[in-house]
Amino acid sequence: MQKWWTIMLFVMAFPCIYLCMNRVFHATVMCITMNVAIMLIFLYAPTEKMQGIVQKIFYFHVSSAITMFFAFFLVCVASIMYLWKNSDWWDTIALSAAEIGVVFCTLVLITGPLWARPIWGTWWSWDPTLTLTLVLWLIYVAYLMLRIETYDPKRARFAAILGIIGFVDVPLIRWSVEKWRTLHPKPVLIQEGGTTGLTSAMLLTFLVCLVAFLLLFFYLLRERMSVVQSRHALEVLRHDIDELCVG
Amino acid sequence: MCKHSNSFIVLMLGSNIFLQQVLALLAKDLKTEWRTREIFTSMFVFAVLVVVVFNFAIGADTELIRQVASGVIWIALSFASVLGLQRTGQMESEEDSLQGVLLALHDRSALFIAKMLAQMLYLLVVVICTLPLCGIWFRIDFLACLGALCVAFALGMLGLSIVGTLFGMIALHTRACEVMLPMLFLPVSIPVTIAAVQATAQLIDGKRLRDIADYLVLIGIFDVVFFVLALIVFDYIVEE
Amino acid sequence: MKNFWYLFAAYSIIWTALCVYMIRLSQKNKELQVELRNLRAQLERILTK
Repeated sequence: MQKWWTIMLFVMAFPCIYLCMNRVFHATVMCITMNVAIMLIFLYAPTEKMQGIVQKIFYFHVSSAITMFFAFFLVCVASIMYLWKNSDWWDTIALSAAEIGVVFCTLVLITGPLWARPIWGTWWSWDPTLTLTLVLWLIYVAYLMLRIETYDPKRARFAAILGIIGFVDVPLIRWSVEKWRTLHPKPVLIQEGGTTGLTSAMLLTFLVCLVAFLLLFFYLLRERMSVVQSRHALEVLRHDIDELCVG
Repeated sequence: MCKHSNSFIVLMLGSNIFLQQVLALLAKDLKTEWRTREIFTSMFVFAVLVVVVFNFAIGADTELIRQVASGVIWIALSFASVLGLQRTGQMESEEDSLQGVLLALHDRSALFIAKMLAQMLYLLVVVICTLPLCGIWFRIDFLACLGALCVAFALGMLGLSIVGTLFGMIALHTRACEVMLPMLFLPVSIPVTIAAVQATAQLIDGKRLRDIADYLVLIGIFDVVFFVLALIVFDYIVEE
Repeated sequence: MKNFWYLFAAYSIIWTALCVYMIRLSQKNKELQVELRNLRAQLERILTK
């Protein structure tokens, strides 16, 4: 039965993505999916035997982490496209994705310790993924500081370079931190044999959460891009009005 | 056959010009530095200060100090690196010589390579002066593993120089240069810092070069990747 | 319900942060749209003069 649900969802995804081009439809689907996700987390997904109720943080924690990585990947791609095509649109995507990425990164860094404290007894263990998240937070906060708000063609270029460098550095940081510290518990999702440590109910809940977070990410991206584009349009208009007044 | 040899000659001449420009720029920077010795002095004094302050902060436990010695040395180098880059950047913007140099260059990446080599040489001199002091204060015999240590330090300093020079040039164009440079440089250079510290610590402990091979590979890959990346993006930094 | 407060704290923080961010963004958007409309009207007035 669950297999049919999965296949149906996958097939429905493509027309949904197309329809989500419409802002209202996107917001509605996002709200519905988020509500379904929350209901699944608290009413459907079984409580994990060893970790207890705190394990439920995992759904939002890991979804935030995956969304964050996707956001920073988007920053890298958009930065490369900006340097190549010199188009403002790509620069807007890079800036918006970076800001939202930092928001999700902060959420991961907050929920991580809240999950670790009852389970491992400490607020912070320097395990590779959390440490990588911390370093990425530092890099992309520096990215945002490099930007601030005024549009300056050169500043956008420097930020694009940092966006590319930051993401290229990710595997190197990950590798170096892993060699440095080996306290990380074996990941729950995929274990060596390829079987998941989650029951199928938990996996379904997690996937729905992930989809909800990705929809949320794209919605926030839209809104943020609209802010940047409006600001740019305002500047152009002000410039035109000034010219006309002077002329 | 003739076409191949022609293109080979053009390549050699081309690379000859490139090499000449790199060396010329490097010589200019080193000559300027030799006159005042300002950058080297500030880097060396700062590195020594960091080592001394850490020494006091850690306490009198000799064994503990010995364990953290390599970390302290590399932190001192990272911070000294930041200081050196800031001073270099300050001097460049005061003289405003960058535009003139760029116009005269055949290939702009010559400027990047020259600056990177200059930074590496400053770091090298700082290391040569600071390591004996560290050896005395931390009671570590660096001479026992000198060869392997040279390899580790060379790779590490190269990584720091590449990333430092790149971000130095970027930070030069921003308003809050002193704040932006460490904010950009330190997180991105974390893989080098981690690997170099571990490699140095293990060498001090008595391990051989082959034992730290994976750390050296990590730093090597970092150096190669960022060197290539820097050469690709450097034009975007300096072009108007 | 051991460790309930950790779960509560985690979800509250996530939701508060995301809601605050979304509200801030949409408020900013509205302000900018209003300003854009005003400026466009101003530009039209200047052009028709």
